[in-house]
Amino acid sequence: MRFLTKLLSLIIVIYITSCSTNKNEVVVYTTVDQIFSEPILKDFEKETGIIVKAVYDTEETKSTGVMNRIIAEKDNPQCDLFWSGDPMRTIVLMDKNILAPYKSPNAVGIKDVFKDKDGYWTGFSARARVLVYNKSMVDDYEIPQSIFDLSRKDYKAKVAIANPLFGTTTFHIAAIFNVLGDEKAKQFLIDLNANEVVIATSNGDVMSRVARGEVFCGLTDTDDANEAMKEGENIGIVFLDQGVIGSLIVPNTLSIIANSKNQDNAKLLFDYLLSKQTEAKLAKSCAQMPLHKGVEIPKGVPALDNIIPMKINYEKTSSSLKRIQNYLKQWLEN
Amino acid sequence: MVRKLIRHPLYIVTYALFVFFIVVPVIYTFITAVFSSDGVFLLQKQTYLLLSKSILISSITAFFSTGLGTVLGFIIYKTNVKYRHFFKLALLIPLFISPYIMAVAWKDLLFLLFNANSLMLSYVGLVGVMTIVFVPISMLIVGSALSNIDSQLEESALVITDLKNVIIKIILPLIKPALFTSFILVFIFSISEFSVPVYFGVKVFTTEIFTQFSAFYNHSLAIMQSLLLVVICVLLLYSEHKYISDAPFLSIGSKGSNSKLFDSEKLNNIGLPFLIVYFGISILSPVFILLFQSLNGGALVIIHAFDLLLPTIVNSVLLALVGAFIIVFIGFISAFYSIKNENAKVFNWLLLLIFAIPSTVYGISLIKFYNQPTLDIIYSSYAIILIAYIGKFSFISSKLIANAINQIPSNLDEIAQIQGVKAFSRICKILLPLILPSLFAAFIISFVFSLGELGTTIMVYPPGMEIMPIKVFTLMANVPQSLVSAMSLIVLTLTLLIIIGFYLLMKPLLRTYNFVND
Repeated sequence: MRFLTKLLSLIIVIYITSCSTNKNEVVVYTTVDQIFSEPILKDFEKETGIIVKAVYDTEETKSTGVMNRIIAEKDNPQCDLFWSGDPMRTIVLMDKNILAPYKSPNAVGIKDVFKDKDGYWTGFSARARVLVYNKSMVDDYEIPQSIFDLSRKDYKAKVAIANPLFGTTTFHIAAIFNVLGDEKAKQFLIDLNANEVVIATSNGDVMSRVARGEVFCGLTDTDDANEAMKEGENIGIVFLDQGVIGSLIVPNTLSIIANSKNQDNAKLLFDYLLSKQTEAKLAKSCAQMPLHKGVEIPKGVPALDNIIPMKINYEKTSSSLKRIQNYLKQWLEN
Repeated sequence: MVRKLIRHPLYIVTYALFVFFIVVPVIYTFITAVFSSDGVFLLQKQTYLLLSKSILISSITAFFSTGLGTVLGFIIYKTNVKYRHFFKLALLIPLFISPYIMAVAWKDLLFLLFNANSLMLSYVGLVGVMTIVFVPISMLIVGSALSNIDSQLEESALVITDLKNVIIKIILPLIKPALFTSFILVFIFSISEFSVPVYFGVKVFTTEIFTQFSAFYNHSLAIMQSLLLVVICVLLLYSEHKYISDAPFLSIGSKGSNSKLFDSEKLNNIGLPFLIVYFGISILSPVFILLFQSLNGGALVIIHAFDLLLPTIVNSVLLALVGAFIIVFIGFISAFYSIKNENAKVFNWLLLLIFAIPSTVYGISLIKFYNQPTLDIIYSSYAIILIAYIGKFSFISSKLIANAINQIPSNLDEIAQIQGVKAFSRICKILLPLILPSLFAAFIISFVFSLGELGTTIMVYPPGMEIMPIKVFTLMANVPQSLVSAMSLIVLTLTLLIIIGFYLLMKPLLRTYNFVND
């Protein structure tokens, strides 16, 4: 009996302290939804034999785990590569001196606006911010074409946006501040508030409310809209402000974490993710728009060439965000 | 005797390990935060307004939960109502479903039924869902207190007055400590709850802490704010401790109990419909909507959900299993020595301190402390997850076991001692068999809570590892609702099956000690 107890204790100790350390591995933290990112990481494993250890989180749930982990692990980084669903978080990490520069050969062909000049981050496959509307509740001629239409009286309490303190909505608002200037942007928010805009918990929640008919329309990302359309929801999308300020383009970004343990493998994965092949896969799985030219995209996936983008500098927009965050918090609370 | 017990190596080692592995990281984080935070928020009116709002919402939730739990506990534990054994287990189901999933299910159900959910997107919805989630805890606490009432008191009272007066004048005063405890524990669970308020768009203190963490990345402020919550929780539990002065609660064992069952037709006629209606509303409705949504996607969705969860099942169950064993062991050591020696109560307070800390803050504390090359064997292994579980749930286990030990007549131990039976033998041959049901209950509760733990685990799980609640959480964002519902149902079914399995495994042992009938 005593022998069995000792044996059991030994097994438990070995189990709980077991960690498969393998030199041929790479640790990636990602805020891109697991359902889309995992298959690509598995493909990389198969093709290279390098073991990918991933920590998943999701922008939809504010990326609490991954971002806070990377910041808290700063002095002894566990993560080699950060694959973010948007540039904003990456730039937060860059400002905290957590990233290391790397210029991938596969970044050639991607426009300069989508990458950091020093190589701290590089963008690839992008989403866009769109208006999603319920086709059975909104007539064609009434469909808003501009963010300013969302303050129209006939849309009172019938427009949803996600919490502007988080995710791509924050980035969208910061971009609006950048493009319009503080005064006009604040007026836009005041008008939205006066029109009783509905604050949803996430972009996915915006999508669900529109699909269910709780609201007529809302602002969300193309991938959320695409998923809803795949599920057969009766919704339509509009790229807003195509004649004026343009639509916000939100690329994925890749960054190497400074002083991490598997830098070489991280660079290999970086190159792999930045390839046209990966962009094609993301276009197929979640309607993301390739940033490389010449990538085949499935029918129904918007092409970047057909959209007038919001002309912003991502790093400046991220800086604006810090400036307006307290204002957004107050706006939300009022 | 007392001094000898407190110096027992088992106690010292357990206590020292708990302090080193779990308490030190938290204290270290708090101290760091105190020195790097300006503390201005402590002077802001808004902080206290928000805190007051959270306290109010949690108090209302605790009030309703305790009230409903008392009614349900009375029907199940004090009457001979039909199917009461079924309801005793079935009404615990909300404990096994994530509060967030419950919130989603309720909102979807009301939308399906009434095509509107403005009612749900409000304080009413928040309090309603949290009440349903926490009623099982109240029912367990009050129910066990009810089953421990000496039947002589009730029978004597019934001779001279009617049942209504017995309930008001005898039963309620006797279970007052349990009501108080139920209120406080539910209050603590509610005030720490984050996912339900955020889903209903209600700003509370935990959402403010979360905002500081996730929007402003201001760890110091978030940690300092959470310290306020910890202080409130500790003060409340201290008052509970003073008020009930070790009165038993949350005890599962009923060996030797001669509690009276009221077997009146009138009570049964009211009790059974009440149980059925409550069961229908609180359990069947959300389960129905989850099932409805799952089936909406077709059978393939359920197969897909199972395929997604399959790689996570073994790891998650094993971790929860090992975690539950350790939690029960720590709970027993803490409970046993705290009862024997006043000085050992500090162990209980440490368990309470960690229990009261919001999950994210606890996760950050573990990262800051363990993420260094010398401690990599812990930080990069399953050990870090176990540390998370142990810190979060040992307090509940300790409370359960302490109350079971308190119910055992001290003369049993004294007689054995006089006979010269050694302390270790007395524990193994007298104490442990007598508290077996409570140990089992502590194990099951620890297992279920560990299996569903998300807040801290998502902060610390080693890269490459797959854990069930994290998988559901990270997939939830961008998969069809039918798949999320199917995954939730699979998790629920799996949890129930494992619990039934544990019960069947334990049954022979429980039978040996006459805790279950043949």
